[in-house]
Amino acid sequence: MAGLRFIASVVLCLLKPFLRYLPKVKSASRNLTFWRRLIYTAIYLFIFLGCSQIPLFRTHSTMDADPFRRMRGILASSPRTAMEFGISQIVIARYMYFSAGSRTTKNHHAAVRNAYQMILGIIITIVQAFACIKYGMYGQLGWVDSLCVMIQLSVGAITVIYLDQYFQKGYGIIRSGTSLFVATNICCSMRQKAFSITRINSERGDEFEGAVIALFHLLFTRTDKSGALYEAFFRKNLPNFSNLLATVFIFLLVVWFHGVCFLVPVRSTNIKERNALCPIKFFYTSNMPIILQSSFVSIIYLFSQFLHWNFGPNHFTYYVGNWKLCEHSGQFIPVSGVAYLVTTPSYAHIAADPFLALFFMLLNLLIMVGGCAFFSIKWPKFSGTTAKEVLEKIRKLQWTMDGLKNSEMESELKRYIVTAVGWGGICIGALTVLGDLFMGPFGTGAEILLAATILCQFHDEIFEEIEDH
Amino acid sequence: MALGGTAPPRGSAAAAASLRRRRTTSGGASGGAAGTMLQFYTDDAPGLKISPNVVLVMSIGFIAFVAILHVMGKLYFVRKEA
Repeated sequence: MAGLRFIASVVLCLLKPFLRYLPKVKSASRNLTFWRRLIYTAIYLFIFLGCSQIPLFRTHSTMDADPFRRMRGILASSPRTAMEFGISQIVIARYMYFSAGSRTTKNHHAAVRNAYQMILGIIITIVQAFACIKYGMYGQLGWVDSLCVMIQLSVGAITVIYLDQYFQKGYGIIRSGTSLFVATNICCSMRQKAFSITRINSERGDEFEGAVIALFHLLFTRTDKSGALYEAFFRKNLPNFSNLLATVFIFLLVVWFHGVCFLVPVRSTNIKERNALCPIKFFYTSNMPIILQSSFVSIIYLFSQFLHWNFGPNHFTYYVGNWKLCEHSGQFIPVSGVAYLVTTPSYAHIAADPFLALFFMLLNLLIMVGGCAFFSIKWPKFSGTTAKEVLEKIRKLQWTMDGLKNSEMESELKRYIVTAVGWGGICIGALTVLGDLFMGPFGTGAEILLAATILCQFHDEIFEEIEDH
Repeated sequence: MALGGTAPPRGSAAAAASLRRRRTTSGGASGGAAGTMLQFYTDDAPGLKISPNVVLVMSIGFIAFVAILHVMGKLYFVRKEA
């Protein structure tokens, strides 16, 4: 940790003279109307989607397994397009900036902080692009092709950095561009799984990939209606309708949980007899535990995949993770070791050996839920939302808690927050596992949770602003 | 914010914001004016500034450019075959 802090502060020192040459974004003026910001948001979203759909020019296709598949959901990335890196450069830049320690960064005001993160993001983009091409993710490219692909990747990722800046400076209707892009990417992939009109040739004949389209197609074209219904609901090789229903159900569950909050009575200090209720949400740390846990699982996957592909299946990789091709989805899944423990078992495994699979499922549930709860409990310290800091914020806004002595306020608030953080984390973990079990090809549980919590946050933010005016 | 590290995350921000809503208008107006003054001085960093329209035009130009490259590549390939 100390070594990382040292390296990060050295890097920041080296970058200092370049800050002034970076083209920066000026803040939005105060009188940008809501509609104008809505239009800006729509245009930025359109740009992001456009960049995510256009494949990279001059790449050669490879048959390799995608090593970053698990992380694509939380990083808003679309494979083999200009948005290959999604928002990863922004995330890594922020992490590097904050790991330089508070001694280096506490004197920076917001503009300088932004500038540092932008420069770090640009450098990380170029390094990532170079590494991806060199590693051979796009096949063996010649000199000209490599340059072409590198320029496309870099321009795409730097565009995302600037778009995020525009959201932060107030040109959009929401403050966080990264969340919008993540939610959009997840929703797009789910829309594609549900409504895609690609025809796939399988042993049962021609079928549509999209679940809803397939439902209608099978109902209208097959003579055996109940068989068609069964197939539309439970087919294994493509997205089926029961997966879609599970997705919608989990989304609605998350929206419901998002509204659950503890109401702490507060009283104004400067206005007489003015009482209010301060909400402490049940999902107090909202989606941070999922993100942290998803990243943790992805790192385990990356590590075990690297060992498996480079050193072959042997005794050591048996404990770290062996990988095998799954016939249903055409993707590689872990079948042993640590990587297997952090994966939710699929239907095939449960059908093959129910008792062992049940045992592993319980173990997996424990690990996932425990992991989420752990990250949820530790997160308030990092993000400045512990009971003490919330109390300070409340006091600064000239409110105080009703009917308590000053010394008791913090412990009372802490009671609420610890419950919210612990049980909220457990609920989030449980919902993630539920999603993993029942959503199938629609995505992982983490994705639907992320999408749902981000959309709830946007709803809160936008309607708060509309109510204010 | 999904990847909050710079901004106060949702829990306290929502609490703080909902409390702020209940302030009186006079307090809010004077507080707001002082806030904009301070922000005018501290928010902008020195250096080159670009407006959103520049980045919009450049991004859309980039997308169009790559799309045209794809189309031209396919046409050239077909023409070469024929």
